Amino acid sequence: MQVFCASPWVPVEWIKAHSLKPCGAWIAPVPESTAVPEGVCAFAQSMAALAKTQPQAALVLTTACDQMRRAADAVTAAGASHVFLFNLPATWQTPAARRLYRDEVDRLGKFLERLGGHAPASAELKTVMSDFDTQRAKLRSFIRRGTARQNAEALARFFGDGAVNEASLESERGQPCPRFQPSAPAADEAVRAPASKGSRVPLALVGGPLLPAQWQLFDAIESAGGRVVLHATEPGERNLLPPLPNLAPDQSPLTALANHYFDHCVDVFQRPNTRLYDWLGTRLTERHVRGIVLWVHVGCDLWRAEAASLREACGSPVLVLDASDIHGVGLRDTNRLQAFVESLQ
Amino acid sequence: MNAVLPQLTLEQWDARYAELVRGGLREPAYGGPLSRHVEREGDLRLRQLRFDNSAAALRLWNFLLTENERLRAARDRGDRLVGTMKDLGTVPVLAYSLPGLRAFYPDGAWWTPCLMECSDRLLQQAEALGIDASFCPVRAMLGAFHSEEHFPLPDLLVCSAGAVCDDFSAIAQRLERLGQRIVWWEMPRRRPPEAHEAVCALPGGLTAPQLQVDVVREELQRVAGALGELAGHELDAALVAPGIRAANAVRRQLAALRATVYGAQGAPLPALEMLVAEMLAVHFCSDREECLGVLRELLAEAQARVAVGKFVTADDAVRIYWVNPVADLRAMNLLEECGGRLCGTEFMFTHALDLIPEDLPPFEALARTALADPMVGPARDRARRVVAECRRYRAEAVVVARIPGASHCPWESELIRGQVHAQTGLSAVELEIPPVCDALLPTLRTRLQTVIEIARTRRKS
Repeated sequence: MQVFCASPWVPVEWIKAHSLKPCGAWIAPVPESTAVPEGVCAFAQSMAALAKTQPQAALVLTTACDQMRRAADAVTAAGASHVFLFNLPATWQTPAARRLYRDEVDRLGKFLERLGGHAPASAELKTVMSDFDTQRAKLRSFIRRGTARQNAEALARFFGDGAVNEASLESERGQPCPRFQPSAPAADEAVRAPASKGSRVPLALVGGPLLPAQWQLFDAIESAGGRVVLHATEPGERNLLPPLPNLAPDQSPLTALANHYFDHCVDVFQRPNTRLYDWLGTRLTERHVRGIVLWVHVGCDLWRAEAASLREACGSPVLVLDASDIHGVGLRDTNRLQAFVESLQ
Repeated sequence: MNAVLPQLTLEQWDARYAELVRGGLREPAYGGPLSRHVEREGDLRLRQLRFDNSAAALRLWNFLLTENERLRAARDRGDRLVGTMKDLGTVPVLAYSLPGLRAFYPDGAWWTPCLMECSDRLLQQAEALGIDASFCPVRAMLGAFHSEEHFPLPDLLVCSAGAVCDDFSAIAQRLERLGQRIVWWEMPRRRPPEAHEAVCALPGGLTAPQLQVDVVREELQRVAGALGELAGHELDAALVAPGIRAANAVRRQLAALRATVYGAQGAPLPALEMLVAEMLAVHFCSDREECLGVLRELLAEAQARVAVGKFVTADDAVRIYWVNPVADLRAMNLLEECGGRLCGTEFMFTHALDLIPEDLPPFEALARTALADPMVGPARDRARRVVAECRRYRAEAVVVARIPGASHCPWESELIRGQVHAQTGLSAVELEIPPVCDALLPTLRTRLQTVIEIARTRRKS
């Protein structure tokens, strides 16, 4: 059974170890274009639609934002039964928050068992954790060499189904993976051929969910003369956990897994969200970033409110791009990107 | 048909005030004619409102409109000020358990643009600080912190995080980035207990798993530690218990007022005064003892009017249940102008109205109450309460006020309206009300008149 997961902070290893198939919601089939009510986040709405169009699958949403919490309400009210709302604590400095996270992992396990999954033995979980750790290591290695779009595809694949196929990624260098072809006609008719790499302005792409249909953004940035050197949307580098620490012989793998996720969660919803700024600060300096593109879904207060703080904290110009449609990137955004990059050249 | 008690303009209230003074009116220190708030504080919106004509209402308004002044005076006397944010009703119970502490909600600044008809420029200041009109009007709080011209800056800021409105959480985070240190505490998203979990009963007929209550209790104990440090006096259960009893005294008074007003054949008090009175519950408008006095006087006035059958609306006014507070107070007058009357409310803080259990260890009781917050649980729980109260108070229609920019409204309004209609058959209309709604008055009036007309038609059928 497929278990769609709408957050990178839910331990997919735990789902996989239950012999179920974790699947990142970012690569889920995108529903047909429908009107999005005013103030509703298109990504959250697509999750609500997913519950309707994939009734045979399960859906794990999180409490990270109001839009997702309310989407879960709507899905439940509509009668969907295979939905789990994972309570991600916003605070992270207290034992209570850590315990809350761990309790949710346990509760998720019981939900997975109700779906038909089997509770894994410690050894099984350890094996799955080790597999994911290996894949993450491969991915980290790949994204040091790949282009921005290749990296986005590789990250989406990993967060989609846990796989990293380096050979396949290398062979598809520069070509969008057929599986991830944009589903809407490209608004990128305005996107010109990439400029030469050497003179491009290094940019960071930061923000909320970025779906395959929206990867034209990378092309648009390249065409404008920029280059994404830090991909910190979702799923992105920000969501890539560091290597798992070695487990002590008597240590519970589940506790280690839960602690690892809890300790390395870097996101805008956390209070305070200093981890996000610490994480960004180091990388923006290391990669000589000269501008930040902030990718904000319409209705997403959490990311939108950070624009001014990012400007102040990072000392870089910030361009806010409004993601109003999950089916692509609009011409207006392309124009804004071009002007932004030109102003930085 | 009974004569309807008149509601007064600000000008008429000056004459009424003089009459009351001649009649021997005795007022608290913050008393005086209402029009002085326009002159001294720039509360221009008062000129557009209609007020109840009782001395009890005068006291209520003066209590509300002097809060900042009273807070400054308290600080001058040596009290320490706690800015409690978002939880609407929980942390103030703790703070007022300690001598020398006064808690208030900086969130309350969301009404300042309304009261000052935007002459305060708080919304523009918030925009300049990075929080634009896509956020709920509570962004005015950011401007108020920045300008320091409204409430005094608190000595300690406490804010709940987790299952809270994103608007508020994002604005509070921005506030912290701008240099205000905040003690954050976790509020889990309330959910029904699962079969394997210990069940905990919450006020308001809700339940939650005990492990969620444990988290909140632990967090409130941490907050109590910060409050105790500020006060220089440990805040333990022995001090919190009388604090809970005192809070419950206010809640009992308010419950009696609601039952009297909403249950009466006519409306003994106007919708606007009821909105203000209910708001007192969240932090006692910075003075717990005086708050009790204000509510007692209002209740006495309402009971006296019911006893003689004197009401502020016509006998045939349509009974409206109102969901969510309004950014512009004028909207509550509008309800009565359109032929409606208030017969129940759900202003997003029902957990501040329900009694806090007194038979439990104090922190446990407070944790259960905090988790009963309607905004931290599923919309269906809110809808269930709305349905129950609509039945209790014989509502004929429901108004769901939409708060501009609020992240929860687009999803929640639809769910609540749908559930209310399915279970009661009542019409429900949604109204988006900005801080100054003058430009939208024709539209708002038409929508209200329509829902009231439909309700009247149902009476005949």
